Amino acid sequence: MAPLEPWEKVLVDSEKFMPTDHGQIACVDCHNGVQSPDKEIAHEGLIASPSSEPEKYCGDCHSDQTATYPFALHSTQQGYWTAIESRAGNVPENHPALEEMFGNHCATCHTTCGECHVSQPKNVGGGLFTGHVFEKTPPMTRSCTACHGSRVGNEFLGKNEGIAGDVHFREARMNCVKCHEGADLHGTATDAETAEVNRLAGMESPKCTDCHVEAIPGGDENPMHQVHGDTLSCQVCHSVTYTSCDGCHVAVSETSGNPFFETEATYQTFLIGRNPIRSEERPYAYVPVRHIPVVENAYDFYGENLLPNFNALPTWNYATPHNIQKNTPQNASCEACHSGDASIFLTADKVKPEELEANLSVIIETLPPMVSLEQVLNAPALPADHAKTACTSCHTSGMANAPISPENHLDYTEENCIGCHKLQK
Amino acid sequence: MSKLKNIAFLIFVLVVISSCTTKSPTPTVAVTESPTTAEATATAAPVVNECLNCHTEKQRLIDTAKLVVVAEAESKGVG
Repeated sequence: MAPLEPWEKVLVDSEKFMPTDHGQIACVDCHNGVQSPDKEIAHEGLIASPSSEPEKYCGDCHSDQTATYPFALHSTQQGYWTAIESRAGNVPENHPALEEMFGNHCATCHTTCGECHVSQPKNVGGGLFTGHVFEKTPPMTRSCTACHGSRVGNEFLGKNEGIAGDVHFREARMNCVKCHEGADLHGTATDAETAEVNRLAGMESPKCTDCHVEAIPGGDENPMHQVHGDTLSCQVCHSVTYTSCDGCHVAVSETSGNPFFETEATYQTFLIGRNPIRSEERPYAYVPVRHIPVVENAYDFYGENLLPNFNALPTWNYATPHNIQKNTPQNASCEACHSGDASIFLTADKVKPEELEANLSVIIETLPPMVSLEQVLNAPALPADHAKTACTSCHTSGMANAPISPENHLDYTEENCIGCHKLQK
Repeated sequence: MSKLKNIAFLIFVLVVISSCTTKSPTPTVAVTESPTTAEATATAAPVVNECLNCHTEKQRLIDTAKLVVVAEAESKGVG
């Protein structure tokens, strides 16, 4: 997105703006300042971004949104703090340095009402969208993907060379808010766990099956949906290659005094790993994983060893790539995953030695069994009373006269069993 | 004759008094009309919105913009 000229950023289109509801409010009611033809005098006490105080300037009319927005992740940026605090551990003396780092490099992503609804976000230079007209639906490329561009935006819009954009955009021209509704973004639909941790905690919202209700396990005749159930997140089968990044280091420039960052590498990957945050809301055993640009010495400019608990979280993180396709290389056939080929799985050899410990929860140790769809569909069903019984405790020892599992099942773990042996209803 | 003169004078005085009484609302009307006229004049005067005068005029914004020195980007790689 090309930066706007200074005059473009503040040019008001009176023909479009004045007839709107916001156009009925006197400029100084929101922006303060003084009525004067002289710029310096007119700008005395100017408030450039009134929605920095949403309760005061937006709350009279938009009280539902302003009541919850202070707890929304776009406002609190709690997702960053959850990760930083986990890796920083409980070392209070490091907090001033981490807070300074956060203020310089992360806080610029904090978003106000106005930075979505009337102007471009400050961290991409700001500037009014449409001559000060407030947009109920933020313009996608000038608002959402202006910040969420490097990964989500490029994937969704098909800007990664040779990789198609998301089917929801290509075929249906859906924009971000078709799935990420205002209630999610304003915090009105955010549950307490999400607000306290990050977007991947608490409710899964939005969820593919909110629209694709037939894809709920058992909801349609698609054998892949039937067989895999909720063992796989939707993106395992329906996303394609996406961006991973390595080693982001942050510092303040000696010459300009401005904060800057430098990443070591950016590359395209598609790798399936184990779900490090498996929960009732996200029951998937396997998810796509993306390397995030964290590195143990990322904040060394601000102090030594600021992330002493670096291995607390994986560096290959649960990902929800935004380049969904109906047909993908991995859902073309069973053999794509069930052939013993490890190329699309995050196995230990693909993880940097210094990051192995951090990624123990996501690394795949056993590849999916080499089976055909026919074998899966004909696998003996589990008796209904086996629902909460550990399979291997009986079927490897023969306890209680249980048939011993075949030799070619030796590498399978508990979570593999239910992939083929469905529970009788 | 003198009596007749007195009666005529009395009638004259009554007529004068009577005519003064009927004309007395005139100044009241004038007083009430006066501010109405003044108010109408004030409403008609154009309200100057200096904010809009400037912020709707591209050339004026260009002329009055502060010189912005764009710092060379020092970040490297994908953010």
